[in-house]
Amino acid sequence: MTSRAAEDARTAWRLVAPAAVLLGGVALYPVAAGFVMGLERVVLVFHEHRFVGLANYRALLADDRFLAALARTAYFSAVAVGAELLLALPLALVLDRAVRGRGLLRAAVLIPWAIPTAVSAKLWAWLLEPGFGLVARLWPGTPVNWLGAPAPALHAAILLDVWKTTPFVALVLLAGLQNISADVYAAAAVDGASRWRTFRAITLPLLRPAILLALLFRSLDAFRVFDAVYVLTAGGPANATETLSVYAYKTLVRAGDFGYGAAISVATFACVALLSGVLLAVLARGAEDAA
Amino acid sequence: MRRALLSAFAVMAALLGCSERQAPEAAGRVRLVLKYGPLWGAPEPFRELLARFQQANPDVELVAEPMPNASDLAHQLFVTALEGGAADLDVLVVDVIWVAEFARAGWIADLSGAFPPARLRAELLPGAAEAVILGERTFAVPWYVDVGILYWRTDLVPRAPRTYHELRSLARAAMARSPGLAGFLWQGRQYEGLDCNAFEAIWGHGGETLREGRLVVDTPEGRAGVGWLRDLVASGVSPPSVTSAAEEDSRRRFQQGEAVFMRNWPYALGELEAQGSPVRGRVGIAPLPSEGGAPGPGALGGWQLAVSARSPPPRRAAAERLVAHLTSPDAGLVLALDYARNPARRALYEDPRLRAGAPRIAALLPMVERARPRPVSPYYQLVADALQGELSAALTGLRSPEEALRRAQRQADRIAGAAPP
Repeated sequence: MTSRAAEDARTAWRLVAPAAVLLGGVALYPVAAGFVMGLERVVLVFHEHRFVGLANYRALLADDRFLAALARTAYFSAVAVGAELLLALPLALVLDRAVRGRGLLRAAVLIPWAIPTAVSAKLWAWLLEPGFGLVARLWPGTPVNWLGAPAPALHAAILLDVWKTTPFVALVLLAGLQNISADVYAAAAVDGASRWRTFRAITLPLLRPAILLALLFRSLDAFRVFDAVYVLTAGGPANATETLSVYAYKTLVRAGDFGYGAAISVATFACVALLSGVLLAVLARGAEDAA
Repeated sequence: MRRALLSAFAVMAALLGCSERQAPEAAGRVRLVLKYGPLWGAPEPFRELLARFQQANPDVELVAEPMPNASDLAHQLFVTALEGGAADLDVLVVDVIWVAEFARAGWIADLSGAFPPARLRAELLPGAAEAVILGERTFAVPWYVDVGILYWRTDLVPRAPRTYHELRSLARAAMARSPGLAGFLWQGRQYEGLDCNAFEAIWGHGGETLREGRLVVDTPEGRAGVGWLRDLVASGVSPPSVTSAAEEDSRRRFQQGEAVFMRNWPYALGELEAQGSPVRGRVGIAPLPSEGGAPGPGALGGWQLAVSARSPPPRRAAAERLVAHLTSPDAGLVLALDYARNPARRALYEDPRLRAGAPRIAALLPMVERARPRPVSPYYQLVADALQGELSAALTGLRSPEEALRRAQRQADRIAGAAPP
């Protein structure tokens, strides 16, 4: 390496340093501190702060509430992300095609995504309110106690998540659609392929990276869902909407059991890391196949 | 981004009272920081109240800082600030359920010298005094109180019910006359309000919920109380939506004229009697019913003033003077007349100025006199969350009240057992 190049490298490091320090300070340090705290018993009220090794994690494995929250979070993520993909694909196809008023349409579709989650959660809480809510008024047949019964409440939370993030998924898919060269479609048309055939043989395979990317972003987000659920139901009724993040928050902040709360957070982190590892591997294999 | 972060840090530092704000005290002047909850209403009367203290104590530089309105957030801020040893915090406002916790942690000072327990018991409402006296030592002074009460529709039923049985039959009769009407609204959402409603039901069945500093719910009266709440939902006297209702959900529905009875805090009366309210002039208030017919105790809410244990002696003395000033009968009148806050001093309810200026507050005397604090235990915050989940499971029929209370008790015992002695 010439001295010029070495000098450049040093300059580069100096330029990166502030950002690296900031990132270390606000991202890495808290994460590391969380890991350490997960190995401790920390209850401020009792001035307890001692190392307990893996005791918190052993307690987690025997904690019904944690296991239920884990299963519930997995269910929430699977159903919500699945529904989002199924709804977003046709939406993206329409957005890709529609010529007249396309800009306006795209902007309109993005509105739910643009509203802050806490606000949309409050909005849905009002819509589902049994006395005044629009949904309750329009609902045919026996009224459903949306937020006051366990199963409807969980699905109301899923509905909120789907309503809010389908536009985002559609946008990711739309970007993928626009990456597909028009030539491929022209060739298919020359070969006389039907629309369905074109969709199956061209659009879907070429859209695979975008689908996987949307799947990655969304499942990570869904697994950590907090604000939507917390504002909508605060985890109730009967803990039926308590996801891992809500349980961690309540344990940490409400009860003040910092060590156990940190262990829940670390467990959530581990699940998310595992999930993203699998999805990234699939994504990478897809890229190799394409290459 | 970085600027945003820096300003976020600055705000946090300011809130937590970090060192940068501790300007060296000017010779002879004592800087005193009061953290209080927003009172709403016009700010002038409260400012005036603080100014009077300032005039009487020219050696003190009083700094009043409002806290976030959300109780959870304020708790979180205080816990981090007090455990972190924040020095820029002298007088703080504490929720009734934090007193035992903060006292146990050693964060708030023993005020028995300036506010002896015997005097508090003599001058204050019994529940309010009970909530701040731990082991014959005073740790905070009640500022204003809140209590769960029964609202009833004077045009739909002839009288307020005294027993649970009577409440049910009166509600049923009114519901039979006008279909679509809800019988009894209360707060069954999974949150702290549910704990209040459940304790009231347990107390109303003659139960105790505190034994030797520990929470007890798995008792015959506990099962009867929670069973009564579940039965209200199962039998249709309370609508299914009660399991997702907080105070405002109940209040709105009652205000629309859609219910016979409602359990709520006194604030709702102001709204129900406001101009344009559909039920204006048709609402009565009463103590909660009970199993035996004696007026049932309502859960005590409200805020107290405490002094940080870290406050050094000169500031400590000034802090005690400020607490005395803000909890004086005169201050109680200001809070009642200008902010509709219910006094903690018993005598004020019979004060002619209060009876003339705030008759609605004066009418609360039979209720506030019986207000009972939720279990005064340092473990309360740790246990309350587990309790909410189990109570909610009982209300929604997911578990029987017996099973839910057994589980809640097990968790409460584990928490108390895990705590160092």
